[in-house]
Amino acid sequence: MKNSETLISKMKDQNLKPIPKWRFTLKGMAVGFILLISVILGGLAFSVVLFSVQQLGFDLITHMSHSNIEFLLGLLPFLWIVLLIIFLILGMISFKNSRKGYKFSPTKLLIINTAFSILLGTLFFIGGGAQWLENVFAVKIEIYESINEKKISMWSVPEDGYLSGTIESVNEGTLNLVDFNNKEWTIDYQKAHIPPVVLLEEGEVIKLRGKMSSAGHFLADEVRPWGGNKGFGKKRKEK
Amino acid sequence: MVVKKEVCNKLSDQEIIQKSLEDLNYFACLYDRYEPKLLRYIKKISMADHEEASDILQDAFIKMWKNLNSYDNRLKLSSWLYRIVHNETISYCRKKRSFGKNNKLDVEDIRLADLPDEQELEVDPEMRFFLTHEILNKLALKYREVLVLKFMEKMSYEEISDVLKIPEGTVATRMNRAKKMFKTIAKKENISFIG
Repeated sequence: MKNSETLISKMKDQNLKPIPKWRFTLKGMAVGFILLISVILGGLAFSVVLFSVQQLGFDLITHMSHSNIEFLLGLLPFLWIVLLIIFLILGMISFKNSRKGYKFSPTKLLIINTAFSILLGTLFFIGGGAQWLENVFAVKIEIYESINEKKISMWSVPEDGYLSGTIESVNEGTLNLVDFNNKEWTIDYQKAHIPPVVLLEEGEVIKLRGKMSSAGHFLADEVRPWGGNKGFGKKRKEK
Repeated sequence: MVVKKEVCNKLSDQEIIQKSLEDLNYFACLYDRYEPKLLRYIKKISMADHEEASDILQDAFIKMWKNLNSYDNRLKLSSWLYRIVHNETISYCRKKRSFGKNNKLDVEDIRLADLPDEQELEVDPEMRFFLTHEILNKLALKYREVLVLKFMEKMSYEEISDVLKIPEGTVATRMNRAKKMFKTIAKKENISFIG
């Protein structure tokens, strides 16, 4: 008996049937779905990382020479960086398991996946989605420390020369400020660099660099808007 | 009912697959068509004896049958067959934890009249016509399989990529390393060749 006949006989005895096509189609769709979700979620995570960089990034560089590593590390958006890495890896794995995924080296898979996440993330960030998502987390998840909270931490260290809060009143050369701990301060801004986007008006939230001269008194070197230099909108009129 | 050889010979691989789904007996045509090549391939990468290789091949064809509906006809059927046989051989070798080192290949299996030109293999002229199983056996599996697929099964890099499910760049890298290792081992072992 030929080997082929033995094989056919064995297959008939065991009543072997091909696995239905729909199972393979379903598996393919599941892999595709996981890939799509990974890229989208990776994009969302990246958008929040971008938002964090926008809000804290340059401030972080300013603080590096003063604050300790632990404080600085606490400011990084770790949750979002970890999520981004997880979704990038998940995306790579699902891509690799697609029909033609094996044709791409791990490096190429990483580049492609990262590129899509960056593109989607940037679009989402520009659309304001990052700030919205971050706020949702801050509201819904009690243990989550929002970027705004991190920012407040960074700019509420007057002993190290970092102060922030809301302007209560403005005088010639000085202003009264209430910080985020509801403490009142008198700010001497006569020698401070103040960009035009800072309006110096009541109710405005600002951040300052300088030196705490005594309890409740702060000598400002620089005044900045709380939301960063946007470059658009109203500008202060010089007297 | 056995399908006659004359009938099988008139059918393409794709037609056999289609007919097999209607009548299992046609599947034997595919087995008969590919058995010699695939058996040779199994023996070369696993160093299994004939009986073991036949068992592996039968298991591979059963797997093929079960997964027939997953076959994408954009891929060459032969590549798909080799892929399944390759995976089945690897599984077998892992279970056995032996690569048949004590088994000797037949001389006919060893002699390869259609070895590549020396320019391709970049070895000394006396090595050109005769490849010993000792050298192959000393190579790691990932290098052995690319050499076998390229020089014995006459596959392109693209086909090897489809069989082993690795990028073509990786195939090229392994090929270069395999050639270097082959040359190094042959020189070290001082193996003589028939010109």
